[in-house]
Amino acid sequence: MDWPRIILHIDMNAFFASVEQQSNPELRGKPIAVIGAAKRTVITTCSYEARAFGVKTGMNSWEARQKCPHLIFVVGNNRKYTYTSTQIINIMREYTPLVQVFSIDEAFLDVTGCLSLFGSAERICHLIKGRIKEQMGLTCSIGIAPNKLLAKLASDMQKPDGLTIIAPQDVAKVLERVPIGDLCGIGKKMQQHLSRFGIKTCGDLGRFPVDILKRNFGVTGEQLHYMGQGIDNSPVIPDEEAEEVKSVGHSTTLEKDITERREILMYLLQLSEMVGRRARKYKVAGKTVTLTVRYQDFTTFSKQESRESFINNSEEIYQAAVKILDSIELTQAIRLLGVKISNLRSHTEQLPLFPAERKKALLANAMDDVNNKFGDFSVTFGSLLGRDSGSKVISPAWRPEGLRNVDVD
Amino acid sequence: MQRLAESIKVAAVFAPGCQIKPVWFEWRRQKHAITEMSYFWKDCCGDATRLHFAVSDGNNLFELMFNASDQNWTLEGVEER
Repeated sequence: MDWPRIILHIDMNAFFASVEQQSNPELRGKPIAVIGAAKRTVITTCSYEARAFGVKTGMNSWEARQKCPHLIFVVGNNRKYTYTSTQIINIMREYTPLVQVFSIDEAFLDVTGCLSLFGSAERICHLIKGRIKEQMGLTCSIGIAPNKLLAKLASDMQKPDGLTIIAPQDVAKVLERVPIGDLCGIGKKMQQHLSRFGIKTCGDLGRFPVDILKRNFGVTGEQLHYMGQGIDNSPVIPDEEAEEVKSVGHSTTLEKDITERREILMYLLQLSEMVGRRARKYKVAGKTVTLTVRYQDFTTFSKQESRESFINNSEEIYQAAVKILDSIELTQAIRLLGVKISNLRSHTEQLPLFPAERKKALLANAMDDVNNKFGDFSVTFGSLLGRDSGSKVISPAWRPEGLRNVDVD
Repeated sequence: MQRLAESIKVAAVFAPGCQIKPVWFEWRRQKHAITEMSYFWKDCCGDATRLHFAVSDGNNLFELMFNASDQNWTLEGVEER
């Protein structure tokens, strides 16, 4: 059977933990867990040796230690991971221009048009695997399939260092017994909904009457039907062709739950500066400001307000966030805060006419110049001095370049 | 790893293709010959590119950093075994 498209999904194995094991040879072959530097940290990822003891991503260190008493905790180095990821993506781009970065450790490649250059998809996989192993000492699992849905499923089938092919003629046979939860896009809640209809495997899902799915899940119902049959026509979209970014935002889980207004304002100022800096760097401004609050019981809500003009000045973003805060009656201590600007448009600097506004813009420019030269937060608002500022977590939306290339500490 | 951030003296080979290979460094009046470079990565601080090297002297693991802007070497950290 002909392959209409040949899609690869490349998934780095236990990425952060493997990078740490390469950096420190003493850690190789040992159960290690990568954690953040913050006080309230959870396991970001762990080595396969740790997984064998039941240690999982998202566990707190106490839980993990219960599972594996000799577990070694390593404080992660995000810059090491973003650099390594960028290098790996550059390797992939040497084989096809159609590379869609899915997260820091995953990417889709469309190699349909590159076979005459490299021979076969398997050969491309072996070449990429070899280059990554040789340059960084890391392994990855690759899935080859006629679409993104199946390529991702295939890469999950053999870990670590696997290469799995799902050929078009084998799709129905392979999917028959695959649990629906193994498909990318079907989460725990959807699994529960579908199990009410007796749907447990992709085979069940593909055979289930599409009308009933549509009646219960709307547009998603039809999509589910196709997913059950292994059909996915979504293209591999390289970053430069991806939809424009719709918002610029930062959030942070606080070191401890807070109630004091003074402390809340300090975090809002820090987040507003991070948002403003990134927006100004990529020359965008937003008309809508959103404040996100997560209470200590994990209840999370967002409130937004649209303004008359587009802004990217940190102080203006901060003032807008404070205004939103003042319209909320806080009922619990706060665990997480987030600030976002959306409704974006490209923004080229035009100095305001009025002296006070002009001064403010010139001050922001001067601060940006210093921070561009010496690093973020080298010069900042007095109330933020001495604070540990900047992004500490690599967002799932991180990309190697552009507005989503958030510089992490 | 114990974080240090101490300025140090380093001997390095600058090979073609922008490859820098630290050979030895002096720290606390002792010369450490580098026996293995286990990892390399780059980052930026403002407009300065910084090159990081995870190296071993056969006993301990060290993180060296070369700031391409001011040409300084720093011992960022040590993991004593």
